[in-house]
Amino acid sequence: MTSVFLLQWQRFRRAPLMVLSFLALTIVFVMVMAGSNPGNSMTVPTYAHPALAEQQQDEWLEQLNKSEGLQFELVEEQEARQAVLDGDTGMALQLMEDDYRLLIVADDPNRFEVESYINRTYAEELRIRQLEQQSTSGEARERVAEMLEEPALTVETQSLEGEQESFVYDGQLQMLFGMALFFSIYTIMFSLMKIVEEKKFGTWNRLILSPLDKWQVYMGHLLYSFTIGYVQIVLVLVLFKYLFNFDVGDQFGLLLLITAVYTFSIVALSMLVMGLVQSPQQLQAVVPIVATGMAMIGGAFWPIELVTNNMLLAISKVLPITYGLDALKSVAIHGRGLTELMEPIAVMLLIGVVCMGIGINLMERKR
Amino acid sequence: MLETEELTKVFKSKAAVDGVSLYLDKGESVGLLGPNGAGKSTTISMISTLSKPTTGDVRLDGRSVVKDPGKMRKVLGVVPQEIALYEDLSAYENLQFFGRIYGLSGSRLEQAIQQALELVGLKERQKEIVKTYSGGMQRRINIAAAMMHEPELIIMDEPTVGIDPQSRSHILEMVRQLNKEKGLTVLYTSHYMEEVERLCDRVYIMDHGTIIASGTKDELKSILSGEETIWIELDRPYPELFAELAAHPEIVQAAETEKGIKLIIPKGKRILGSIFQSAERHQAQILNVNVQTPTLEDVFLHLTGRKLRD
Ligand SMILES: Nc1ncnc2c1ncn2[C@@H]1O[C@H](COP(=O)(O)OP(=O)(O)OP(=O)(O)O)[C@@H](O)[C@H]1O
Ligand SMILES: [Mg+2]
Repeated sequence: MTSVFLLQWQRFRRAPLMVLSFLALTIVFVMVMAGSNPGNSMTVPTYAHPALAEQQQDEWLEQLNKSEGLQFELVEEQEARQAVLDGDTGMALQLMEDDYRLLIVADDPNRFEVESYINRTYAEELRIRQLEQQSTSGEARERVAEMLEEPALTVETQSLEGEQESFVYDGQLQMLFGMALFFSIYTIMFSLMKIVEEKKFGTWNRLILSPLDKWQVYMGHLLYSFTIGYVQIVLVLVLFKYLFNFDVGDQFGLLLLITAVYTFSIVALSMLVMGLVQSPQQLQAVVPIVATGMAMIGGAFWPIELVTNNMLLAISKVLPITYGLDALKSVAIHGRGLTELMEPIAVMLLIGVVCMGIGINLMERKR
Repeated sequence: MLETEELTKVFKSKAAVDGVSLYLDKGESVGLLGPNGAGKSTTISMISTLSKPTTGDVRLDGRSVVKDPGKMRKVLGVVPQEIALYEDLSAYENLQFFGRIYGLSGSRLEQAIQQALELVGLKERQKEIVKTYSGGMQRRINIAAAMMHEPELIIMDEPTVGIDPQSRSHILEMVRQLNKEKGLTVLYTSHYMEEVERLCDRVYIMDHGTIIASGTKDELKSILSGEETIWIELDRPYPELFAELAAHPEIVQAAETEKGIKLIIPKGKRILGSIFQSAERHQAQILNVNVQTPTLEDVFLHLTGRKLRD
């Protein structure tokens, strides 16, 4: 097993270009895409009521834009309405002196979140204004700010439905995890393709005739694919955490664990693909389709929360990448712990074991 | 040492190998001869435990290897028909790996590598990537890879296909040495008669999945003892002349060759005169005429009515 494993590294050293280019692509994609919209990427087109004074309009915008998760961008009314009609945006906001109107597309998944945020902002601001009018000192605003920083009482809120917690769109992390998991599929599948090549070029027979057990040969290959895929993802995570200062939460070890489980499930899934498609030429075509398809449906390119088609959602339930992304994001963004991750981890392991079993069987049967 | 009993392999109801029984004694060099598609490689893959026979058995020292392939694999070296190497690695690295999987390491491994390289005469170029080798050199490393664990029995499946004459004679000489000097038992597959004639003590001739003749070279040739071969070299092909000769009642067999026509006739028949007459009639220009005792090639032609190669 070790000799088969080491041989793959020897071969990798001779031709590292492909794997390195997947690594580079990940980095470039994350940098370009996440760099252009730092932190959040939800923008709400905003326009003012004709009666609203410009100064007031600016004040509202400033208040609203204090949030990290949302951006309110001032546009013409006509433009905002058109954008909603065209489906370019899920909602548009109209500012009024002490009220607002929200134009919403019915099935926009963020509507409650956004509306409740605007609602809160308005309510708070209006209350402070009321306070300002009543107080004489004119320091009410500062006092409220102070008190908010050191609250006498903190109330922790928990959603009753647990899972249905508020949707936080973190474009940076979405991009980072999505791309890291996506490109690792390529690396893993192309690495595992060496098994298929061995069968085609006859070196497999030499291995079978040697004292090595067949499982040792498989293990050597699987372990190599796992290692190289894992190292690729971890390198990306480390790079963006330490060099680009992405906020991935403070449970890095947990991220590594999830990555390992995810990598295992992708190695297993690749084995299934190899079992189904047994010529290297066909695999060259199939691998990109499988990788891209899984990434799209599983939410590597855009958050799965944006997907509403039931069939796609159903498919996403059997893809490891869905669970991998979900787990990574919930650790990095929501700070969840291991106990809450048991489900996605268990599902990924299950998918892995099933795919591996079927894959190896198919591979053996075809011989 | 090795024997097969009624080996049969059926692919999708078509029998590629049909009831092949053969044996090899220790230290023998045996040829398995047959045209493309005769079933040679299929036979070999069953003998070497890579595929299971549909029916029949393979025995090594009296014990079935179909049920227990382990013992066979230990003593066996196989040189596959297709080059089975890691093309992206050097010859040295390939041999190193194939030695390692047989449990060699350290100085024993190093020694085995250098020995194998010496055997195939590629010591100087061992660090080069296999992909950059010529076909002949790849073939030689392909053989070396099968020799790393010092097998007692070596099976070679057409080890000289498509290579330059120099590499070819190097390989033939090497196999001869291994057999005669080191006492290796050799099963040598080929569709080149000359190779088998030169290397092998005994020969099996295979066609359409069955063995159609077997024995020592002389035994086989004695099939044709009552016949002789006439080579007629012509300046160009003359199909009508060939047709006429093929239909000649005294001629046992006629075949077109690269340079002219080859005839097998009963020994002692005076037939040359009528051949010259025919040539005259067709205005064929005869460059050379040669009367020979038969070769294995002729035996094959006699047995199947076809040439070994086209
Ligand atoms: N895996 C397979 N499935 C179906 N048919 C096969 C398979 N392997 C071999 N055959 C068929 O069995 C027959 C014998 O093939 P084999 O490779 O043993 O011939 P061979 O004597 O080695 O020929 P060559 O000189 O071309 O190597 C051929 O007709 C071939 O098409
Ligand atoms: Mg063959």
